[in-house]
Amino acid sequence: MRATDKRAQPIADIVMPVSSHSGRSVPTVRWMTGLVVAAIIVLGLLVPSVLKSTFYLGLLINAIVLGIAAVSIGLLAHQCGLVMFGVAGFTGGATYLFGIAVTQFGWSVTAAAAFCLVAATFASLLIGMLVVRARPLPFAMLTLALAQMLRSLVMITDFRSVTGGDDGLTMNWSGSFFGLSQAQLNRPDTFWAVAWLALCGVMLIAWMVGQSRTGQILRATRANEERMRFSGFNTYMPRVLAFALAGFIAAVSGLLMALHSAFASPELLDFATGGNALVAMLVGGASTVSGPVLGALLYVIGQDQFGASGHLELLTGLGVVLVIVAFPDGAMGFLRNGVRRLLEGRHAAR
Amino acid sequence: MNGRNVSEMDFVQHFNVVQLANALALSSLLTILASGLALIFGLRDVMNFAHGALYMLGAYLGYSVAARFNFWIALAVVPVLLALVGVAFEYAVLRPLQKRSHMDVALITFGMALVMGQVVSGFWGTSPLSVSVPKSLAGSVALFGQPYPAYRIFLIVVGFGACVALAVWLKWTRSGMHVRAVSQQPMVARMMGVNTDRLSLVVVCLGTGFAGLAGVMAGPYLSVDPSMGANILISCLIIVVIGGLGSIGGAIAAAVAYGFIQVIGAILSPTLAVMAPYLMLFFVLLWRPQGLGRGRVA
Repeated sequence: MRATDKRAQPIADIVMPVSSHSGRSVPTVRWMTGLVVAAIIVLGLLVPSVLKSTFYLGLLINAIVLGIAAVSIGLLAHQCGLVMFGVAGFTGGATYLFGIAVTQFGWSVTAAAAFCLVAATFASLLIGMLVVRARPLPFAMLTLALAQMLRSLVMITDFRSVTGGDDGLTMNWSGSFFGLSQAQLNRPDTFWAVAWLALCGVMLIAWMVGQSRTGQILRATRANEERMRFSGFNTYMPRVLAFALAGFIAAVSGLLMALHSAFASPELLDFATGGNALVAMLVGGASTVSGPVLGALLYVIGQDQFGASGHLELLTGLGVVLVIVAFPDGAMGFLRNGVRRLLEGRHAAR
Repeated sequence: MNGRNVSEMDFVQHFNVVQLANALALSSLLTILASGLALIFGLRDVMNFAHGALYMLGAYLGYSVAARFNFWIALAVVPVLLALVGVAFEYAVLRPLQKRSHMDVALITFGMALVMGQVVSGFWGTSPLSVSVPKSLAGSVALFGQPYPAYRIFLIVVGFGACVALAVWLKWTRSGMHVRAVSQQPMVARMMGVNTDRLSLVVVCLGTGFAGLAGVMAGPYLSVDPSMGANILISCLIIVVIGGLGSIGGAIAAAVAYGFIQVIGAILSPTLAVMAPYLMLFFVLLWRPQGLGRGRVA
């Protein structure tokens, strides 16, 4: 925001140096930020009326679903230094939970959606209690094993009547989700509002965690857990909460998937599916909330451009290597550094 | 009562020498791979997510060399080729990035695995290929009165032979002692004057060479397809973590246990067999984070 201000009015930059910003009272800044965020949320709702192409809208929705999963990984990676390899277990697991609630229990969409989120969050709370004690590498292995276990579980022939086995689970429901029927949820232009609001909500939650005291404790624990414990902080509970929150966010992604496609397949639980979100998080950068979403957008664009020729994996692989080696803060960090350098350059010229 | 008798009879019927040998054949493949993975982890603290892709590369190279010349040449040449890949891996990735966080390097190997998978399917296509068993091992031998494919016996012998050779090297040579020292106490070993860089080159080459050996050996036993790497990688990661990170002995023991659970569990209860490795990993990590062997906490 500040960057665009300055580009528009270079004279104002000279007259009112950067410190003028801190001269304003804190509540004013907060109000303005809130207004801008609200404006972005409202403007985002209008995207389908501008972007008429169903194809590109569908692409953006895919980016949102992937982006939310990437935000979940990014939250844990940035706040706790734990990389979740098995996010597919939480996203795909939520899709299956919703599907089972709709097809087996015959619940209404809203009830099934609520059940899916609550059950997934509760499950991740319990899992978190066990796994956050682990060091980063065993943690990665444990979450990966969980996702693989879930994948094997849905493939077991004894559960075929519930999970659909290899064929996947086709869902059909009659009620409406906030006034949207199943057919409307399936169409990108009518589904957009749901996906967009979910993305905004998730990003806000993740951002608030980063700003909160809990977030500070988490990052301090990540830097030096022993010292935090000596200083009298409980280093365990905040991480369990962060894991449960990450599980919830991943479940939102899985729920969106279920609402939009009305289909769950074992591929959703694949290592590769979680790998896509991981790649998106890495490419975008975990240090900001918007980084993973940007990464997901880039990934989906890449998928569209190169998916057919079969070079997608090659490019994502190279992208991951390049980003980690050269830009440890990801694409978003690169952009932010670029803007900062540009500003500093202007100051120096002055 | 009656039901129990039947299941006991089934158990006796199926639990025969052939099943045991099958379990050993799978274990020997896993042992070769897991010990390579554990070696690299011990020296460089990096979980090599590209190990499955290296194994796949080995299998495809083995396929091509075996088609052009014969299986025995493939068995000799491919591990050497993979060891050369290991040299590149050490010099291009592990050495320049040793100051970076271990998770970063692990993620880089994850990216490398994606690239290698794509390169392999670009060269050889995505449809499964099969490697024929060499003529001298094509028949079957009588194993306690039951016919058993000779190739699998060969696989078991080579797999465990390689592991015994590795164990002998680690246990009774000076360089092997250094490897163990670095795996257990990296800082102390360095202070005592062990050259970790030189050691790491040897160990990484050995690890990737072992992946190549496993790939060639797997060709006639399993089919050669692009997903073979990812499938076995997860098993190997579980084995290495259960065995104790950086502990070669633990990895070997865990690989044997894993093979037995897979093969014998598949007969007793397929559901349990599928879940067992993950449950095992969960319990081991929660109960003994350093793994079963004398590894160290990652």
